[in-house]
Amino acid sequence: MKLLVSSSPHIGTKLTTQKIMIHMIIALSFPLVAGVVIFGLYALTVVFVAAASAVLAEMLYNKLTKTPFTIKDCSAVVTGMILGLNLPPNVPLYVPVVGSVFAIMLVKMLFGGIGKNFANPAATARVFLLLSWTGVMRSYMQPLDYSQGVWKALVSGFTKQYITSATPLADIKSSAVTGVLPDSIRLLDLFLGRTGGSIGEVCAIAILLGFIYLLIFRIIDWKLPVSYLAASALSALVLYRGGWTYILPTLLSGGLLFGAVYMVTDYSTSPNTAAGKVIFAAGAGILTVLFRRFSGFDEGASIAILLMNLIVPLLDKWIPKPFGYRKPVKPEKTAKEAKNG
Amino acid sequence: MKYTFRRGIHPEDNKKLSESCPFEEMPTGSKVYIPLSQHIGAPCTACVEPGAMVKAGTLIGLSNGYVSANVHSSVSGKVLGFEMRENAQGRKLRHIVIENDGLYEEENLPPLENPTKEQIILRCKEAGIVGMGGATFPTHVKLEAKNKINIFIVNGSECEPYITTDYRMMLNFPKEIMEGIGYIKTALQANEVAIGIEANKPDAIAAMTKELTDPDTHVYELKTKYPQGGEKQLIYAITKMKVPDGGLPSEVGAVVLNISTVYALWQAVKLGKPCYSRYMTVSGEGIKRPCNLHVRIGVPLSEITEYLGVNEGYVKAVFGGPMMGFSLASFKPVTSKGSSALLLLSKKEIRPIEPTPCINCGRCASVCPMNLMPMMTDRLILKDMIAEAKKFNPMSCIECGCCAYVCPAKRPLVQSQRLAKKLIRERKI
Repeated sequence: MKLLVSSSPHIGTKLTTQKIMIHMIIALSFPLVAGVVIFGLYALTVVFVAAASAVLAEMLYNKLTKTPFTIKDCSAVVTGMILGLNLPPNVPLYVPVVGSVFAIMLVKMLFGGIGKNFANPAATARVFLLLSWTGVMRSYMQPLDYSQGVWKALVSGFTKQYITSATPLADIKSSAVTGVLPDSIRLLDLFLGRTGGSIGEVCAIAILLGFIYLLIFRIIDWKLPVSYLAASALSALVLYRGGWTYILPTLLSGGLLFGAVYMVTDYSTSPNTAAGKVIFAAGAGILTVLFRRFSGFDEGASIAILLMNLIVPLLDKWIPKPFGYRKPVKPEKTAKEAKNG
Repeated sequence: MKYTFRRGIHPEDNKKLSESCPFEEMPTGSKVYIPLSQHIGAPCTACVEPGAMVKAGTLIGLSNGYVSANVHSSVSGKVLGFEMRENAQGRKLRHIVIENDGLYEEENLPPLENPTKEQIILRCKEAGIVGMGGATFPTHVKLEAKNKINIFIVNGSECEPYITTDYRMMLNFPKEIMEGIGYIKTALQANEVAIGIEANKPDAIAAMTKELTDPDTHVYELKTKYPQGGEKQLIYAITKMKVPDGGLPSEVGAVVLNISTVYALWQAVKLGKPCYSRYMTVSGEGIKRPCNLHVRIGVPLSEITEYLGVNEGYVKAVFGGPMMGFSLASFKPVTSKGSSALLLLSKKEIRPIEPTPCINCGRCASVCPMNLMPMMTDRLILKDMIAEAKKFNPMSCIECGCCAYVCPAKRPLVQSQRLAKKLIRERKI
């Protein structure tokens, strides 16, 4: 009988990297289902293409660099899904392909693969796409109209050309000067997702369900989304003339809530310490609202998260003190002791 | 409110396997092999020659170091000679081989009536009492603490999964343990005694509470959490005092001993019996009949597995608890003063040993009771960046194993911490 010999401990949790990623996929399917109901089956195709090309890109990278396949951990699916859900529902299909290849090859694999990338792959890819295909990335369709028949509405995305419509974000931005919310902003619509926007971003309820799911299975650290949302709310209060009336519309519109739950919480691009996490997420929250209020774009979540990713290594320089830490004795004293000894 | 410390983990305790089994006497074979080193310090010097006749309790190994303890024969019979054998850690050690005559004649020290502080400490030294939870730190060294001791803490938490010896001892010998606690209180001249027991052992709490007579002795119900029985964690849970980093519990006026040690000390004082036998749990899915045994020191583990029977399909044998014990390469090692358990674990029970890349999830840091960042030490030590790794305080690691337990990537985080400690010491960084 041969016995396994290894270092302690000999028992461990059943949770594996793959299981964490599968939990993420399940949590991401809440906003995905909502997005498909709101925007039709074409939206599902977009997310599917994004996820599939992410997996293929990772396989291709493994093949090119002659390294073992790493797709088994399912993290490429998660990256692809997050990117897909960040895209407008009516983008041409080359957009998710280019985005996923960019996210996986350049942002993730070139830096060493899972856990080693310093920037959020999905956020980086989204910003890259926004700068490269600005027109396509900023044309949002309105939610489906089911009065013509359910099936007809669901498949309409494949044929019909959509006219770019205004999103709540644009309305909020343009009303910031007056400080009076336009009538088009209705909180119930924002909650249910009856607005234009990216596939996964529009339905707040679905995102919150995913949030609850991730908290139940302890996949994400609550400190990150909570600090991000709190800082965003506070910034909205300060930066908009409308004050508190702008808080909920800010939190519920655009990619802020989606970013809080699925992007700020990314393991490899968030700090390791509790204090670092709070500073990182709060910084991202403040930047998001600053960008929304003052930049040329309506949305700021992805860019804010990306910018804060860059200071994570700095935040990780702060090392917590061990339990029972005592200040080291002053050097002069030890020198004297050494002499006496 | 239950007393506890910060962070830590909640592993499945698997105590059901053996907790209802009363102690059973393990038959001793024809030969015993007594290791001359059963403590953390220098090995003992043998003080018997081959051919000498000894009895159970005869001094055969003389302690010759500060943190070292005497070794006694566990059977009566003839000394056959010396043998180099592997211990559980795989280190070759000198063992004294004794032929068991089957009579178990005893040679005890004189029992002590109303002993004084000095008598108890001396007896502890003579009888070779060491910390029997597994660390095997000589008990007389703890009792001789220079600092004023305010509180003596009895560790009845038994937070390691599977192990049920201390639990059974609290049920079977509460009076004896209470009397032993009294001796130690005298030896330490402590003002207060706290008996900490985890909440998952309500009948042990009840049994010990029933025997309380001293007004300064109290039973504390601890939260069931690992590593509740870690010395620093236990002291914090009960007194909220933090043992300084790199320091000893006596620096905050506390001394911790576990139940088995208290009982061994009671036997040494009251009965004059030196430490040559102990209680241990044999459990895991690989054991046909999991139980709690009373074993003499020096019995090869193969005899125990033969006696209780094994289920084929076990892949790992662990000497000690599953969180901090050693995995065995064979069943040749013998029972010693520190052997609290022998576990035969199936593939289903063990943690996979193939690591995958760190995903930087931070779970290790979030459970570390010492507030360290194991992922950083792991990452840096593998790149041989030792000075950088030292900044993450691996020297403070208590090797409890919480980090590796929760790691979804199954990284050997404790091993990295140990490697870091070793390299820092070797290269004097």
